[in-house]
Amino acid sequence: MAVIGGGAAGCYAALNLHKLGIKPLIICKGLTGKSGASLFAGNLVISGRALGNTEDNARNTAEFLIKYHNQFLIDQHWARRCGEWLERVYYPELEEAGLYFRRDDAGNMVTSPGKIRSIAANVQGNSGVPFMDLRRKQIIKANIPRLEETAATALLRRSDGSVGGVFCLDTMTGEYIVVLARAVILATGYSDRLHARSTGTREMSADGIALGWRAGATLVNLEMQWWHTNDIADPPTWQRMQVYPNPMLGSEKSARMVNSAGEEFFNQQEDDPLAFGPYTVQLKALAKQVRAGKARYDGGYYAGFDHCDAAEVETYTTYGKAYRQLGLDFPRQLVETAVTAHYRQGGIDVDTATMRSSVPGLYVAGGVGGHSNGLIGLATYDGKVVADGVAADLPRLALCELPRQEVAREEERLDALRETAGDGLVPVKIKEKLRKVMWDKAGVEKDAASLRSALGNIEEIRLDLLPRMRLASHARTANYEWLDAIDVVNMVDACELIVQSSLERKESRGPFFRRDLPQTDNKHWLTANVLQKTGNGFRFEQRPYELPFFKPDFIAKDNLEVAW
Amino acid sequence: MSIVQTAADGTTRAFRIGQTERQDSLRARNARFTEGELLKVRVRRSTDRSAGATYQDFDVPYRKWMRVLDALNWIAENAASDLAYRWFCGSKMCGTCALRMNGREVLACWEAVEPVMVIEPLRNLPVVRDLVVDRAPYERKVAQLEPWLERATPYPQFPEPLTHASMKSASKALDCIGCMCCYSACPVIGLGDLTDFAGPAPLVQLGQTALDPRNGREKVARSLAQTGIFNCVSCYKCEEVCPAGIPIVSMVIEPLKAKAAALVPHMAKHALALRAVVAARGRVDPGALVLRVQGLRALAQLPRIVRLWLRGKVKPLRTLLGTKTTAAGAARRLLTRGDAP
Repeated sequence: MAVIGGGAAGCYAALNLHKLGIKPLIICKGLTGKSGASLFAGNLVISGRALGNTEDNARNTAEFLIKYHNQFLIDQHWARRCGEWLERVYYPELEEAGLYFRRDDAGNMVTSPGKIRSIAANVQGNSGVPFMDLRRKQIIKANIPRLEETAATALLRRSDGSVGGVFCLDTMTGEYIVVLARAVILATGYSDRLHARSTGTREMSADGIALGWRAGATLVNLEMQWWHTNDIADPPTWQRMQVYPNPMLGSEKSARMVNSAGEEFFNQQEDDPLAFGPYTVQLKALAKQVRAGKARYDGGYYAGFDHCDAAEVETYTTYGKAYRQLGLDFPRQLVETAVTAHYRQGGIDVDTATMRSSVPGLYVAGGVGGHSNGLIGLATYDGKVVADGVAADLPRLALCELPRQEVAREEERLDALRETAGDGLVPVKIKEKLRKVMWDKAGVEKDAASLRSALGNIEEIRLDLLPRMRLASHARTANYEWLDAIDVVNMVDACELIVQSSLERKESRGPFFRRDLPQTDNKHWLTANVLQKTGNGFRFEQRPYELPFFKPDFIAKDNLEVAW
Repeated sequence: MSIVQTAADGTTRAFRIGQTERQDSLRARNARFTEGELLKVRVRRSTDRSAGATYQDFDVPYRKWMRVLDALNWIAENAASDLAYRWFCGSKMCGTCALRMNGREVLACWEAVEPVMVIEPLRNLPVVRDLVVDRAPYERKVAQLEPWLERATPYPQFPEPLTHASMKSASKALDCIGCMCCYSACPVIGLGDLTDFAGPAPLVQLGQTALDPRNGREKVARSLAQTGIFNCVSCYKCEEVCPAGIPIVSMVIEPLKAKAAALVPHMAKHALALRAVVAARGRVDPGALVLRVQGLRALAQLPRIVRLWLRGKVKPLRTLLGTKTTAAGAARRLLTRGDAP
């Protein structure tokens, strides 16, 4: 089984396949457990009745996930199964393997108080690091083979159209690798770095969406882009460093946000205790400040802990480190913050019981799926479900034979990109241009006119800039420029699909702001925005969500007046 | 290791060693440039493992709070799109962007730029291209140490009994992001195959579980036996460069050495002999030390002993008579205190 992605979902899928006696191979564009978004997990939400959670806590966690995290665009049955698994299996299994859930000196597990509680692996703000390091070591211990710093550039299909292989580029040696498998699991993550400011890591370029789409997979809710509201404004590389707005371990307080006039406009523990990860609530609060001229989406407002003392913040969190590294007086000084594109709620459409995509042989786990928004526990659960799904289908999945024509075509495509004699822009510049188009015209606030204009710009990039792309080096070894050229083709495809999906959803919902359609419309749009590939292009379809446990309490309302 | 300074108003500030001497506080380093000011950046470039290296110069305009990685990104976008350098997270989590700036190991995404910078790849690892090093030798060492838990008793249930007091050292080691700054800075690793020293980074990786009270003694002993840990000369270079601020020697290597001395005593023969000599005599007596470590085999090197004797390096008479200095009492007291390893 080929697993593309070495984050929380991919690693857990591989470990579970291994346990089931199925041989996995991890293909990771970065380094297993060191690249991608999973590292960024700040803390771990306690679900169900674990660790002294009350019935209310348990319900709050579920309500938060469905309302604030997914704006009801989620399979609530899946969410329930996931919650039960987290409570029963996830925490004990991690602890048994050695993950250190932070205790105090007396041995009590340290939690954040409030309506929804959380714990941390070692230190809050850094939980993803020991978590993913543990996964990396579990993979090593289990002797699961890995192709690292190896980019999957195409899914290979059998003559019946089913997926059974992956074409890869070893980015260090420049060699091509063809992986043949009985099936492929895509686990490329949530965050795709398509905007000028993005939390996506260096290697992210929407590869999962682009590869899935080319293989014929149906996509869903691509327009549902999630934003971080207080990520550090400068320097550019720290655009992904967040002043965490969530409750703090061992304290009743949370970070506060202040506009350019010095007025506080958001403080999670006081303003919306149910919004544990209050990102959409913050974004709406910021939008009001932007409209009042007291902040911009790209800066001009501040966040920090000047209402706390240093020890209160730093005993269990990493939150003071960035301030101190900039030479700021922590906690007295605040830092300028800005909006950053974070996770994409949408992605590849899956059957949540098995993680099958619409293409036979192609399975999906974690953030690249369109069934839920992120949290490391949810991505992990997908790893289990997909392993079980694949195991159940195994008798019907035969090892793929070498699809010579597809392989030859992909070799030719990559060779051409490397050997290009273009005289235009270098790939990294085209990436920046594309990210600027997305930020300006398909960013936090957009309307039909800006989205259509974005489509025009994307088309210009595709038809004019890509064919004339220039590379300074045609070497094979560690040629990141060549990788950038491969990436940008994927990014152009993904951006177009995202903008088309944004045009299609005729409402505003949660973090999706349409200036021309400001209402959240539960009558018509409490539905999945499904994007299907057709013979000559694509078509959209709506699929309503079942609402067995939680329902919105209004039909239509101005999105900025909706809490979630 | 840090030095704590107390200001007139009673507030204290801790400096890492090396920082005080350079007078470059974080505040000063982040405030010394104006927007657009040109930084002189010289980057070591090489096309592959075998080719020779060249240095290429760039003028990079400063922007607010610029990190070394921002400067490299500017170069790749504006001046040398083929510059090879590795990074993923850009925010001190993945530990893949470590390099040397003006001769010291830094994490590119974390370190403030300087007016003149020479940027080179990490040492002690093969260079793949430009600033990209091959991580494989380090990864192999980490894997060889089997840095995971093997519980001696079955896992009880969630949450298991565990205190932070018992996890203090392991918890520090868990801040490790595997950036290999310390591995590049370590002079013993720089000796190559002359020693079997695993190196600071692999030891920190091992310390995460070997200093965890939940790990079984046999497992820890098996791992420690692979480390060559007593080759560490406690020079503190690793601690000085660690971007995660881990007290590598004091909180990881020293406790691991103590564990090795207890669980795998033959590894610690030299260290334990030295300690016994100092405790008995109040000073290092080289002759006594060699005799304790090598036994009578040492006498086979008679010409060498004579040479050392003539130069005053060993004093056989004093060694044989077991002469003590006046410090012997104090040394014995200090070395047999409860908290000494």
